[in-house]
Amino acid sequence: MAKNKKSKGSGAYVFAGILIAIIYVINTFLVESIYWGNQEVSQKTGQAMNALNKINGELTSINMDSISIAAGIIAPEDIGMVMGDTERRYGNIIASEHQFEAIDGLSPAVVKRYNYAKALITAFKAKLESLGSGAVREGNEAEMRDLLKQEIYPLQTTASEMLTSTIDGVNVEAAKMSAANTKRAFLLMTVMMIVAILGEVVVWIFARRAKKMRAELEEREKNLAEVDAKLKATRQKASDLAVINVLTGMKNRYALDSDISDRLESGRFNIAVFDMDNFRSINDTYGYDFGDEYLAAVAEKLKEEFGEVAEIYNITGNEFCFVFNSSITESQAMGIAQNIQRVMSSPYEVLNLAVQLPCSGAVYHYLPGDCLNVNSLLVKLDTALRTVKMNGGNMINTVMNM
Amino acid sequence: MNKKNRRGVFRAVTACALSAAMLIAGGCGKPGGPGGQHGPYGSQGGTIYVIGKQPLSFWDDVRKGAEDAGEEFGYDIVYRQGTSDNDYSSQEADIQDAIKKKAKAIVIAPNGKTELNSAFEEAEKAGIKIININSKADYDGVITFVRCSDKESGSLAARNAVKLLKAKDPELAGLKNIAIIPHTASTAEERVSGFVEAFTEQASDAIAPVNMTENNEAKAKENRDAKKNDFKKGIVKGAACSKREVAEAEAREILEANAGNISVMYGTNTNTTLGICDAVSALDLQDDVVVIGFNSDMDEINYINNHVLDGTIIQNPYMMGYVGVRYAKKIISGDSCAARVDTGAVFVTADNINEEFIQLMMFPDGRPDEKGEGGEG
Repeated sequence: MAKNKKSKGSGAYVFAGILIAIIYVINTFLVESIYWGNQEVSQKTGQAMNALNKINGELTSINMDSISIAAGIIAPEDIGMVMGDTERRYGNIIASEHQFEAIDGLSPAVVKRYNYAKALITAFKAKLESLGSGAVREGNEAEMRDLLKQEIYPLQTTASEMLTSTIDGVNVEAAKMSAANTKRAFLLMTVMMIVAILGEVVVWIFARRAKKMRAELEEREKNLAEVDAKLKATRQKASDLAVINVLTGMKNRYALDSDISDRLESGRFNIAVFDMDNFRSINDTYGYDFGDEYLAAVAEKLKEEFGEVAEIYNITGNEFCFVFNSSITESQAMGIAQNIQRVMSSPYEVLNLAVQLPCSGAVYHYLPGDCLNVNSLLVKLDTALRTVKMNGGNMINTVMNM
Repeated sequence: MNKKNRRGVFRAVTACALSAAMLIAGGCGKPGGPGGQHGPYGSQGGTIYVIGKQPLSFWDDVRKGAEDAGEEFGYDIVYRQGTSDNDYSSQEADIQDAIKKKAKAIVIAPNGKTELNSAFEEAEKAGIKIININSKADYDGVITFVRCSDKESGSLAARNAVKLLKAKDPELAGLKNIAIIPHTASTAEERVSGFVEAFTEQASDAIAPVNMTENNEAKAKENRDAKKNDFKKGIVKGAACSKREVAEAEAREILEANAGNISVMYGTNTNTTLGICDAVSALDLQDDVVVIGFNSDMDEINYINNHVLDGTIIQNPYMMGYVGVRYAKKIISGDSCAARVDTGAVFVTADNINEEFIQLMMFPDGRPDEKGEGGEG
């Protein structure tokens, strides 16, 4: 029963544990997803910005070199070296273009702006090459100046504007993606919160139900225990009624039978029976109620006086049987029997009337195997008692004496 | 309600309130963040007025660039324009409208040097930033000027005209006169002067050959300058035209009056260029006269492909509109930007017309479109 009660109560906790584990696992995936989402945005933005800034930087450097050549800042013998630098810078620009173009998922607006910038850079490169192969080689400073002022510089400026616009676009796009990620994270976390709260509510409901069920079970068990106790008491009462005389509260004839049957074959003990002489006259004179009260008073006195030396039975109406303790010797039993006669014959005050009746008794020093059963033992004692009664009563007989 | 039940209700209410708070926190952020609701990645920053000169295809491209920038940076673009390149009163009304509508900036190609100054002053007082495109007003409050230099464009046209002549005649021994038909707008003047100056310089060896016998350098220079000036003075300048037919008539008249004596004809906008092409084509002079023009109307492209028009200068109106709005956005945001930006010009011939960059300049939206009226302004 206790085990059942325990297992029923723990069901809700097991459910709560599973629910929390599920929420934890989902939460882990959620955090992972948010992390990788942000990581992707950050990586993509970083790559794009790196590539665009590199292109813009190299473009500006090339432009500066060109202006320096046109302005005569760079000595003619160093022009070859600067041209070599320009080639290297173009290499970097192309590598950066490839890096940028490899990035997936950029918005059409960013791609459009980048393509515009790329077309301008290509035109810029072509113009610069024509400058290198024409005016620079020929040393035509006026043409170099015009080319730079009218074509190359505006191309670089507008290409740079387009690149910075692309950078702005990437920045804003990254912010948008980041905002979208944050929004998604908030949404998912809200869902998780709701799931967790609902889970808690479910667990709470389960726990409440389990608690209620446990209380009901306990109540039922309590009622059952009460019924059981009552039943036991009733059984005990019924059992007691079977072996106890209701009037005197002493064990009856059946109890005697039960108590000493086993001792008849091998036991050695002293046993005596006493009853009032002419008890019927009391009933006739004062009524049965009075007679019952009188007997109760006598029985009470006997229990008081001899309860410690003998087991006392009220085997019929006014007949008492004394099974002496095994420590009581035959002679002691005889002495006690005389005391019993004295006590029983004493006056008793019943309903404000003092009543006194003589009594007779029979004592039997039982030896193993004397009787086959309790009935034959009682017959022996009753025979001895009747003999005394027939001789006028108020005497004690012994079975051995018969 | 006992204490236990009260606690249960309190828990339920707290849980609901927490959920609601989370939902609100998750779903009610700033709308759009940096992306905003307008445009692919700009927040809604306000309104920018873009005011063009007149209803010509050049200004359609300016508008396109401005609208692309507006969409990208999250600004509403209100595009207006004058009825002609000297219609400043319409532009003044547009500025007043911008003030009324609490625009953040005005990107304008003013149809006058000083006529709009009082309107600019009023706009400036209202906190509106002023950006000039294409042409600049004489007003100190103009924060930045985005343009394609007409003088440099003219110079570019001249440089390439000389190159084309030299391709046939490297020494320019057969160089004759040049004829120019300007258009009626203020930009024509710079385009003409840029062309004349550059052409004279580029062809100076033919126009004013160095006198090897003259030892006095100063005198030699003086003589050469005089010859150059004579050449400049001798240039045939037609009357300013606004219509193609008028320009054609003017060109025909010049060609007929100077038969066999014109090496180069130069038109300063679409209609004058087309008028010249019409006349040259009608007179079958395409092999004798180098025709240099402006802009890239479909008819001009056809003339390029037919080798009547030897080359044309195309500016980048799309870029002008785009950068104008981009700079306006930067200024509104408190960032600094260059006081002057040159978006450049390109000389287009039959050889380079299909290059990606030139195609982008001619067709900013990526596809050929119909251009009714030509000319810049």
